[in-house]
Amino acid sequence: MNNPHHLNPTSLKSRFTTRFLRALTKIRAQKPISSSSPTEIFRRYRRIKVAADKSMAYSVRSRRIWSRAMLWKLRSRSYRRQDPCSGRRSGKTSQAIMKKSSNENTTTRREDGVGFVEEADELRQLVPGGETMNLCNLLDETAHYIKCLTTQVQVMKKIADFYSF
Amino acid sequence: MDVGEKDKYELEKRNDNSLNYQTSGMSSAWQFGGSNLTSTPMSLVSSDNPLVIGSSSASASMGDSFCSNLWEHPSNSQNLGFCEINVQNGASSSNAMGIGRGGPASVRSSIDRPFEMGWNAASSMLKGGIFLPNASGVLPSSLSQLQTDSAFIERAAKFSSFNGGNFSDIVNPFGIPEAMGVYARGVGLMQGPQDVYTISGVKSISGVESQRSKLMTTEASRDLQAENRATQESPLKNERNSGSLVRSNEEAKQGNGGSGNESNEAESSGGAGGHDEPSALDGTAGESSAKVLSSKKRKRIVQEAEVDQAKGSQSPVEAAKDGAENQQKGDQNQTTMVNKTTAKHGKQGSQASDPPKEEYIHVRARRGQATNSHSLAERVRREKISERMKFLQDLVPGCNKVTGKAVMLDEIINYVQSLQRQVEFLSMKLATVNPRVDCNIEGLLAKDIIQSRAGPSTLGFSPDLSVGYPPLHPSQPGLCPGGFPVMGNNADIIRRTLSSHFTPMTGGFKEPNQLSNAWEDELHNVVQMNYGTSTASDSQEVNGSQPSGHTKVEL
Repeated sequence: MNNPHHLNPTSLKSRFTTRFLRALTKIRAQKPISSSSPTEIFRRYRRIKVAADKSMAYSVRSRRIWSRAMLWKLRSRSYRRQDPCSGRRSGKTSQAIMKKSSNENTTTRREDGVGFVEEADELRQLVPGGETMNLCNLLDETAHYIKCLTTQVQVMKKIADFYSF
Repeated sequence: MDVGEKDKYELEKRNDNSLNYQTSGMSSAWQFGGSNLTSTPMSLVSSDNPLVIGSSSASASMGDSFCSNLWEHPSNSQNLGFCEINVQNGASSSNAMGIGRGGPASVRSSIDRPFEMGWNAASSMLKGGIFLPNASGVLPSSLSQLQTDSAFIERAAKFSSFNGGNFSDIVNPFGIPEAMGVYARGVGLMQGPQDVYTISGVKSISGVESQRSKLMTTEASRDLQAENRATQESPLKNERNSGSLVRSNEEAKQGNGGSGNESNEAESSGGAGGHDEPSALDGTAGESSAKVLSSKKRKRIVQEAEVDQAKGSQSPVEAAKDGAENQQKGDQNQTTMVNKTTAKHGKQGSQASDPPKEEYIHVRARRGQATNSHSLAERVRREKISERMKFLQDLVPGCNKVTGKAVMLDEIINYVQSLQRQVEFLSMKLATVNPRVDCNIEGLLAKDIIQSRAGPSTLGFSPDLSVGYPPLHPSQPGLCPGGFPVMGNNADIIRRTLSSHFTPMTGGFKEPNQLSNAWEDELHNVVQMNYGTSTASDSQEVNGSQPSGHTKVEL
């Protein structure tokens, strides 16, 4: 019996689920699952992890600083792999975008007079794109990032359970 | 993990968390000021917490849900962060306020009670009490004073403009007379004490509080009001001069008492009380003013709390005069407000009376605070940060008891790290697990996951094995197409079956003969296996439970 309560099809969860499943099937289709060498598994693991991050970032689009930063990171990484030249070019544009976004949001990190610089720095390292945010926006982004991470974990857990039950 | 809809889950989670979070947040606000200044306020804070807890939870939950909605809407999300966009943001908050508007009278009365209780409890302990600008019903005495203050009216007008929709919406339903019109806006604040709170120009605060105002209508609103007042005082203190603060308080009072008649009555009663208090207040105000000069926000809170306490102690007396709760509330608010106002007026001679006005955020310097634009902006920023910290406290589980920003931040960092590690672990798990069905996994899982049905294990079995099994026992609901013809296209069959009869199998999975073979083959090619054994399985009973178990082990 289907759940009588249907989640909003445009909710973050559904968006992420669709994207991630698609990526998963693509990854699975690439290589046979039977191969169980550690390197293979590790490679697949990396790919799945990237796919998860990517699906999440794409689900959020560019609404958030951290999603923009993550997308930029992923794109630059993929560009670098494919073509060093294009990577440089894309890197420049990406950096321009990042700078623009950072300017929009706030000045460079600084002590906001609150005195939580150490923790704030640590948080900045955790949240993608956090270096360019001031504490105020950092907390904002962190809250949204936590929400997306929990969604990601939920969905992935369900998928894993489904597969392995 | 809760599999319910994300929205519901979040809402529930937020509601649950808000209970803890709000109380902790509120209590921390209380304790925050207390701990810094003197031991007295701390004890007072603890006493007030119980009152605050009840209300805060309700508001917090609403606030959280609202905040979560804000997350999803990019346009609004900006509002959360930026106070400058006052007008537009008001729309979002006005929605929240709409609910609050619905029961202004009830809210006010409810607010009065807890406020009164809070005051009575706190007055004895807190010296200054916590100044609650939103004190409902404090209008009367302050109102009279305010009326004479044209500048205040101007500020009130500005004040209302900050809240944007909130104020305007609030004003109309109450039908407050013109004279009260300006103050009546504060009424909206009653339901949304955050409105007053937002005067400082902190949009996020208003947004969150406007949600709280929604809850104000609930019974918990009373406590919330008391709580909000306290919290509002703190942010207000930070951002306003004594003069402006007093005025804003008056506005809040008026707003609170606002429900037209009530406020009028409160005014009259409060006015009497207010006059009596000023003298007492002056004494306390003197102390508080000295403290206020410290430029610390916490000190302010304590000072104001002390002042409020003084007022509060007087308010009960006033309350005795008026039988009606509203009046009492008004008295308390008014007297406290008035006392503060009068005391402040007295002191204001020396202090800057004109609050500095910024272009974007109309922040008023608090009493004793430097009116430098930098410090004002800093204060606003600090307010924003504390608001966000409270929101995060709600998000991160187990942070309710944690007080203090540094520890909170550490908790948040740990939580984010753990979530990231969990994602890595799960992706590793997904990399090692063997997919059972490749083709339709997406549709199947999407349905399953998005609908968040419980028991993923049941789902795992049914789709793969039941497909193409006409002889499936009736115990397998939904998956037996009844004479489903064997088809060559596995994917099509699976999809059709799943889409049409997709239901979580409750375990009674019937397999044709050769279960073990089917299971093994299934790993590699489930559909083919099904087809291969379907013909032979017709006559055979399938004991799905065992093979399922075995399969599980194998898998």
